[in-house]
Amino acid sequence: MKKIERKDFLKLGAGAVAGGLSGWVFSGSPFMAFQWLAEWTQDQYVPVKGLEKYVEAVSDSCPNGCKVSVRMIGERAVKIESKEGVCPACQNALQMLYHPERIGMPLKLDGAKGSGKYVPVKWDVALKDISSRMNKLISEGKGNAIAAINKNESLNGQLMEKFIKAAGSNNVYYEASLKSITSATLGGFINYDFANTDYVLSFGAKLVEGWNSSVDMQKVFTNWKAKGTKIVQADTVCTMTASHANEWVPVKPGTEAVLAFGIANYLITSKKMTSSGDEFAKWSQLIINKFPLAKVATFTGVKEDVIKKIADEFSKAKNPVAVAGKGGAGVSASSAEIIAVYCLNTLVKSKAATLMKNSAVTYTGDVAGVDALIKDGKFSMLFLNNANPVYKSALGEDLKKKMEKAFVVSINPIMNDSAAYADYILPSLSYLEAVTPSNKEVVKKFKESKDAKDIIIALAKAVDKTKNTFSFSDGIDSYKIAGKDSATGGKFSFNVDKVKNVIDAIEKKLAQNAEYPLAMVPVEVPLVGDGDGLAFPYVLKSIDPKVMLYNDMYVQINRDTAKKYSISEGESLVIKSARGKLGKVYATLTDTVAPDTVAIPLGFGHKNFTKYGSGKGVNPKTIMAADVDPLTGTADWWSTRVKIS
Amino acid sequence: MEKSKNLFTAIYDGIFGGTSKNMRIALYVLFGLTALFLIFAIQILFWGLGYTDMDNNFTWGAWIIGDLGLVGLGGGAFTTGYILYIFRVDKLRPIINSTVLIGFMCYLFTFVFLLFDLGQPLRCWFGFAYPNWGKGVYPHSMLTEVFFCLSFYFCVLIVELIPVILEHKVLIKNKIIAAIAHYMHLLMWTMAAGGTFLSFFHQGSLGGGMWGVLYAKTVWFAPHFFYMAVVAAMAGGTSFMTLMPYIAGKILKKELVPMETFQILTRVSGFIFIFYFIFRIYDLYMVANVYAPMGGRNYFDMWGGYYGFWMIVLELILFMGPLVFLNIKSFRDQEKFMVTGAACGVGAIVISKLSVLLHGFSAPNFPWKGFTAYTPTIQEWSITLGCFAVMILIYMAFVKWFPLFPHLEHHDEHEAHH
Amino acid sequence: MIVKDVKMKRRWGMAIDLDKCTGCGKCSLACNQENNMPIFEDDSDVPKRVAFLELMKLTNDRDAKFPNVKTAYLPKMCQQCEGNKQGKHPAEPPCVTVCPAVATDRGDDGVVSQIWSRCIGCRYCQTACPYEARAFNWWKPEYEGSFKNSLSTDVSVASRGTIVKCTFCSHIWKRERDKAVAAGKLDINDVLYTPACVNTCPTGAMVFGDLNDPDSEVSKLANSDRAVRLTNVIDDIKDPAKKKALMDKKQFPNPKVYYLTSQKWLRDMMRFNPRNDAAKKNS
Repeated sequence: MKKIERKDFLKLGAGAVAGGLSGWVFSGSPFMAFQWLAEWTQDQYVPVKGLEKYVEAVSDSCPNGCKVSVRMIGERAVKIESKEGVCPACQNALQMLYHPERIGMPLKLDGAKGSGKYVPVKWDVALKDISSRMNKLISEGKGNAIAAINKNESLNGQLMEKFIKAAGSNNVYYEASLKSITSATLGGFINYDFANTDYVLSFGAKLVEGWNSSVDMQKVFTNWKAKGTKIVQADTVCTMTASHANEWVPVKPGTEAVLAFGIANYLITSKKMTSSGDEFAKWSQLIINKFPLAKVATFTGVKEDVIKKIADEFSKAKNPVAVAGKGGAGVSASSAEIIAVYCLNTLVKSKAATLMKNSAVTYTGDVAGVDALIKDGKFSMLFLNNANPVYKSALGEDLKKKMEKAFVVSINPIMNDSAAYADYILPSLSYLEAVTPSNKEVVKKFKESKDAKDIIIALAKAVDKTKNTFSFSDGIDSYKIAGKDSATGGKFSFNVDKVKNVIDAIEKKLAQNAEYPLAMVPVEVPLVGDGDGLAFPYVLKSIDPKVMLYNDMYVQINRDTAKKYSISEGESLVIKSARGKLGKVYATLTDTVAPDTVAIPLGFGHKNFTKYGSGKGVNPKTIMAADVDPLTGTADWWSTRVKIS
Repeated sequence: MEKSKNLFTAIYDGIFGGTSKNMRIALYVLFGLTALFLIFAIQILFWGLGYTDMDNNFTWGAWIIGDLGLVGLGGGAFTTGYILYIFRVDKLRPIINSTVLIGFMCYLFTFVFLLFDLGQPLRCWFGFAYPNWGKGVYPHSMLTEVFFCLSFYFCVLIVELIPVILEHKVLIKNKIIAAIAHYMHLLMWTMAAGGTFLSFFHQGSLGGGMWGVLYAKTVWFAPHFFYMAVVAAMAGGTSFMTLMPYIAGKILKKELVPMETFQILTRVSGFIFIFYFIFRIYDLYMVANVYAPMGGRNYFDMWGGYYGFWMIVLELILFMGPLVFLNIKSFRDQEKFMVTGAACGVGAIVISKLSVLLHGFSAPNFPWKGFTAYTPTIQEWSITLGCFAVMILIYMAFVKWFPLFPHLEHHDEHEAHH
Repeated sequence: MIVKDVKMKRRWGMAIDLDKCTGCGKCSLACNQENNMPIFEDDSDVPKRVAFLELMKLTNDRDAKFPNVKTAYLPKMCQQCEGNKQGKHPAEPPCVTVCPAVATDRGDDGVVSQIWSRCIGCRYCQTACPYEARAFNWWKPEYEGSFKNSLSTDVSVASRGTIVKCTFCSHIWKRERDKAVAAGKLDINDVLYTPACVNTCPTGAMVFGDLNDPDSEVSKLANSDRAVRLTNVIDDIKDPAKKKALMDKKQFPNPKVYYLTSQKWLRDMMRFNPRNDAAKKNS
């Protein structure tokens, strides 16, 4: 036999390796290995499987009560759908429900206010502390030093009102909204019969962009389109409402009220129409003297014959309605404006505008509104019921100072700019975790959070004076005491003595101002609204690059105005008003904004609104006009004189 | 410890031994770029393409520009090979090794760039396993064509390069290796023919077809683009292949390739440039008058932003270089005009690739949008320049250690210094 | 049980009435929720944004000056192009032929599918798409903490380095198909469904259905005078002979999303050259 030498071994080995290698390659396994490697290195999350089912629920976030159908995979809610219509906030409730920064336990301040330093405490500890302070104030006869600000008139807001009033305080307020400022001015909010109107004259109300109830307004709009209802929109910026309207009346910024004065003047003098409100004669005399049509035309930029034409069409329509409340989700109007526009409705005897009030909701307290409270109110204790006045009020910075000196309790599910100044944060629920008369909770509540109604009831029971305010101990039972809407009978007053000053202020603001030659008006961005939407990633995902790009916020300027001030597209700007200046923003040029105007998006510039909402853009409210209206108790921040550099 | 120190010293001396100060600085820069390339390569491969300035609108950037340029200019390899082996112009033999090496590196680094540009490089073999081949011979997707053709041609280039490697003075001493090298030289014409055949396809598809078939993108759509790219590659590639050893020779202060070889190659280049120039004028006319209006757009309105019509103007100006200096013998015979002409030719091709990519992506897709721009990030710069640095280093290594230039071997017996 | 081999007769299409769209953004929300869109702390890097539906804002700043300006919102998703028969060449969507790995294909129902697990991330389809409808996962898609709880199991979470896009919610079609089969309805053409965006539109601006069914609302809308397709200029040529001649020279996207508007400024903004005299001369 041939001797096996080392080189034979080597040859054998080499052959074996070569054969094995080629076999492995041709079997396809290295390719499968690559595929496995690709998937393993990507490390994608795989959603947990489960049984699919649909659960019905009603939202208790606001009085509209959106009805939704929630698709569940096992115990996880994965989609919200609705046959009847759901507002964007309620549709995005999954991102609130499952927000990683949801507060799970009551938080107690553990540092300076605004620092964001909190420690979790147990419910009974928190309730004991809060109620004992309330007891002390009440026993010292200082019950009125307890104030509360509700986000809206939902049932928990009504319960908060009852609770605080029972404690002996008259200082319960609702965040500035169309309903609150209208009620403060006219003694009731306006119920519009939009379905049966044939002519809508809107003074800056962004009817299809979140104004009033967005669910209702979308249906109204669809109806209007089908019926051919005429929509006339007075607006400084060509917004969606202005573009969809049959006629857009471009008005100079902040002159919507003046236009209303002008039309009223014309209808009273030329058409001899009268209104049923108190002090009508005095008011009409004031308007006729101060606002002849020529002056109105100069102030608004709307030609006299156009004003007359609109007034004629409005008065001749079968069932016209005039609408006040500039803005969309964030509404602003002076009392003079609200009165003037409502006056138009009464002049033409419109059947589409009825003053209503809710039996459980009083919008005014010792002062007329939240801004008046911030400016003049003295409170040593403040309850924030899911409200965010530090961010939304033009006087937010002043409120911070007052909150630093007072004892503040905030009820909300995630941190917001106002809650960051609270001594206690009591975590509440998203509507998907709430029980309503129509449904059980869709998802188990998050950790130790509680329904705001239950929190308020528990607080009431812990305070001596309010022990018996509520005859029930469970939030679900509170539905039986829910307030009901009813007509007020239509009586209202023109309140000339107070309104006179407001009208003077408007005139003064509109006069030429060399130091602040431009006017800044707000615009809203879909889904962001007046700021509540920014904490949610899917809202961030919808923001147009001409509003925010690479974390830079853009403001809109008319092209001719930009040329006048040598501003090019994308250039950075500093905007200053008499109240201060804003952080750097960037210019985008468009003729959808009137000349000599800066249109700035609302909703950005939060300091404390989860990592998703914070540190993005600037909040224009900090430099917006902040004169507090004597009747609404709120600042009309709509139009502010500014300069840019 | 001592052993590794010795090893390091040996490597260092091997690379830097006897180099001049300028050369040392150049080498430090090149190695520095290579190091940056390695660092950012890991970042891109492991953490993704988010670190580039490419986005959903500006889909491709530096690396595809690199690919277009490398493949386009690397087309000089097949052209030179064809002229040498099929047309038997033996005066080109002194440059063929350098050409093959540069061609090989161009295609190698095309694959390297592509590896980075793929979002899922581990799946790159899908192009072969699941090719988008429609009915018949012609592939549905231009990229399928590119994948296959480039891969086959790369194999051709490897085969063409092997003899250069085998002819290393140590390796060639082995009888078997010498025999292999000898027979490979004899059969090299098959590679040249096959390579030319393959090159016509992938030069056309990568340089032009890829863009020309996008019927929904009026900024690129042009049915003749495929053919124009082949001519471009032949014209620019030959000038490029001339310039590289010329520059190397100037740095080394040696005659690596006889001037006559350069002049023949640049004469070919100039001649093909005439055809390319005519083709380009035809292209501009057709796109402006036929294809752009077919897509509902005005040709000149599609130029704007940073990558404006100046790119076309610059390209046309640069054309004058090869058209005049490479075609008129009195100019071509003067070294400085020849080099200028070749450089302008390469420049014109580079500008045309830049305008395809930069202008193509920056043009708005919606009537209400404006022009967009592309600013490569440090990751993209490092990987692109790093690859170029590695190419230069490899070329230098070959010049130093392998018989890249038979003309030099012929003339010079002692070691070349740096 | 033998299932008869039934041919898919449906061709899904969408009609979006821009005169009814108020830009409320619910379509965007619904799509993101339904399709597991990745979550970013800073989603303002818009060119790299991963979203199937982009709510584009249009004005006629190009054509007009204050106060003759208008504005509109346009929800844009993958337009599910068809292409057109070009001589002997079959109709092909612009993005399908270019994929080197056959990761995207036009289905029998007209929907262009996207299989992320086949995608190699070369982005050629993205380059070919005239509507910027395809999104690339430049970063690894992530869902912070409890946000993972609202992920649907019907849509896979794609990996970084792959392309994703709107598929007209074909997973909902599959869901409905499974329900129909479970209920004994085996005919594939019995299945009707609604994508997430259409389902949530509050003004009825978005309509979805079968373009092959002449009685369906979407068919009627698509054939109405108010219909206009994004940058699909072949629509502007009315003469059928000229149209065919041009289609024989070149394919056009031929999308299945029809925008509806009576507003002339908006129709003009859907074209780079509203009058496009040159194209008409060319045909």
